[in-house]
Amino acid sequence: MYRFNLNPAYCKGCGICIAACPKKVIESTGRLDAKGHILPGGGDMSRCTGCRLCELVCPDFAVAIVEDEAAEEKNDVNPD
Amino acid sequence: MNEIGHPMLKYLKTEGPSGPRLPLILCPGCGAGQVLNYTLHAVDRLLAEDNLNKEDVVFISGVGCSSRLTSHYLQFDSGWTIHGRSLAIATGALLANPKLRIIVFTGDGDAAIGGNHFIHACRRNIDVTIICVNNGLYGMTGGQVAPTTDTGEKTATTPFGNVEDPFDLCKLAETAGAAYVARWSTAHPRQTVKTIIKGIRKKGTAFIEILSQCPVHKKTAPVEMFKALRRLTARVKEGAAVPDGRIAVGEFCNRDKPDWISRYQDIIDQENRHKDTECTGSI
Repeated sequence: MYRFNLNPAYCKGCGICIAACPKKVIESTGRLDAKGHILPGGGDMSRCTGCRLCELVCPDFAVAIVEDEAAEEKNDVNPD
Repeated sequence: MNEIGHPMLKYLKTEGPSGPRLPLILCPGCGAGQVLNYTLHAVDRLLAEDNLNKEDVVFISGVGCSSRLTSHYLQFDSGWTIHGRSLAIATGALLANPKLRIIVFTGDGDAAIGGNHFIHACRRNIDVTIICVNNGLYGMTGGQVAPTTDTGEKTATTPFGNVEDPFDLCKLAETAGAAYVARWSTAHPRQTVKTIIKGIRKKGTAFIEILSQCPVHKKTAPVEMFKALRRLTARVKEGAAVPDGRIAVGEFCNRDKPDWISRYQDIIDQENRHKDTECTGSI
């Protein structure tokens, strides 16, 4: 099981990780942060294969895919 | 909460003397950030596989959006130098220490304004890797027309469309004599990483053009531009025709020719041998 770990301080909400994800796992949270960016979040992470393409295409070094056994309850990476 | 960050953050200066340096200064969805990410992935693999040290890799850039990527953010030795003259400074760094692996970040504006340096670096076949982030306009100064802007493209200074033909930087580099020439786009991440690894390993000038998006000045969403770059490019094998209206990507030239430093070394060795025989003859 993988976890989509986003650093909201670095993310500018460009959405390239959403477009690049081959399994369409990453989706927009639809919520604005304090700077006015709509941040992405991990959707159904059970379908994530851990290809780390989102890490590679991120222009702002904000995305990290973490291999995690107990990731179920941590899936919501943007609590605020 | 974010106990584990992006794997390439280990090569970036996250903190500076005047506070945090990240997030990057670039606009949201800028392709230059992606190119930095691809380059760091390539360098990460080279450091692991080729027995290189961090001190052996030097980044040099000029002026422009893509040139902001070096000394301000990287934990490598790097130079943020004068406009268009990054290749001249890279030549100097190489002469001082020929063992360095020099990576030059240049934008299309930087390569075109320093065009003479660019063609002569390719002609001399100096052992550097030139990574050209081509977004087709002068992004930092406000989206003006550049020598790489497509014909008919509307920019800040060509509101009715560009009347000039663009430079094909890959053909220019190949004709000028670069040993390795390739073009990819930001929408080809894995291919770009592989090509950058090949380019850094190549002895001689490696010119890698990466087509990039400028969502702010082209007034298009980053995702749309990212998808368009994949749609509008076609990978071609050598000699094959490009489908109509699409941009050829791939490896265009990979030839073995002696680089500048090794030719100098040959002359030095030859002279030394000559002197040795002279000495033994007189005795």
